[in-house]
Amino acid sequence: MQNAPLSAPKPGEGALLWTLKIFSGVLILLILILHFLVNHYWAPNGLLSHAEVVAYYQNYPIVPFMEGFFLIFVVVHSLLGVRSIALDLRPAPRVLRGLDVLLLAIGLIASGYGIWLLIRVTGWGG
Amino acid sequence: MNEPKKLHSRGVLDWFDPRGRQVGGWGFIINRISAIGLTIYLYLHLVMLGKLAQGPEAFDAFIATAKQPLILFGELLVIIAGLYHGLNGIRIALTSFGVAVRYQRALLIAVVLLTAAGSLFFAIRMLSIH
Repeated sequence: MQNAPLSAPKPGEGALLWTLKIFSGVLILLILILHFLVNHYWAPNGLLSHAEVVAYYQNYPIVPFMEGFFLIFVVVHSLLGVRSIALDLRPAPRVLRGLDVLLLAIGLIASGYGIWLLIRVTGWGG
Repeated sequence: MNEPKKLHSRGVLDWFDPRGRQVGGWGFIINRISAIGLTIYLYLHLVMLGKLAQGPEAFDAFIATAKQPLILFGELLVIIAGLYHGLNGIRIALTSFGVAVRYQRALLIAVVLLTAAGSLFFAIRMLSIH
């Protein structure tokens, strides 16, 4: 195995997107540990019921913020990953521009939907 | 993560070509496949969490369905993919910034071992709960 760094920006990726992909990945990992422990490990049956999710969000107001940032980091990281895989296919510039628009739209819709969902659940019964 | 370029690259198809592949190459392929799996899971997960907005009956019925063996097996695959992708991501982040580049092969082996140990732990826990 070579002794050079494993990862570097690809042509068409740019240093900014590459750095964003790396840092969002690290941030995801940190929040994922907390997300996983609370939602799936400490939950009595491995999964929270609706009432437990609502109580958890309402009793710990930092949690919806944490989950919101988690969602945004995950969406950004996943879509940059999809774009990186697409670059392996060496798409034409026009196709890449179309893909960028599509990925941006998916990212905005997913983030917007997730944040709406967090607000809805946090305000449940209020 | 960039794989060393071959003379006649076939893009994504090269991922599935085992010829002349070293440990790092397999690490790259598994990283990509786990990434695709996790991305599909992420958006399915978001859609399923929409049940929370429909109220307790809809969400709790979904949770009951999620405890079926086939779904649990799928969740275990997600855990395996998440562990591998996350731990391998740390390895990539470190070596990308010039840290422990010399030990990347040993780090990859550590990633695989930790993924196996973590997966076993969660598999036992899932079986004991359900």
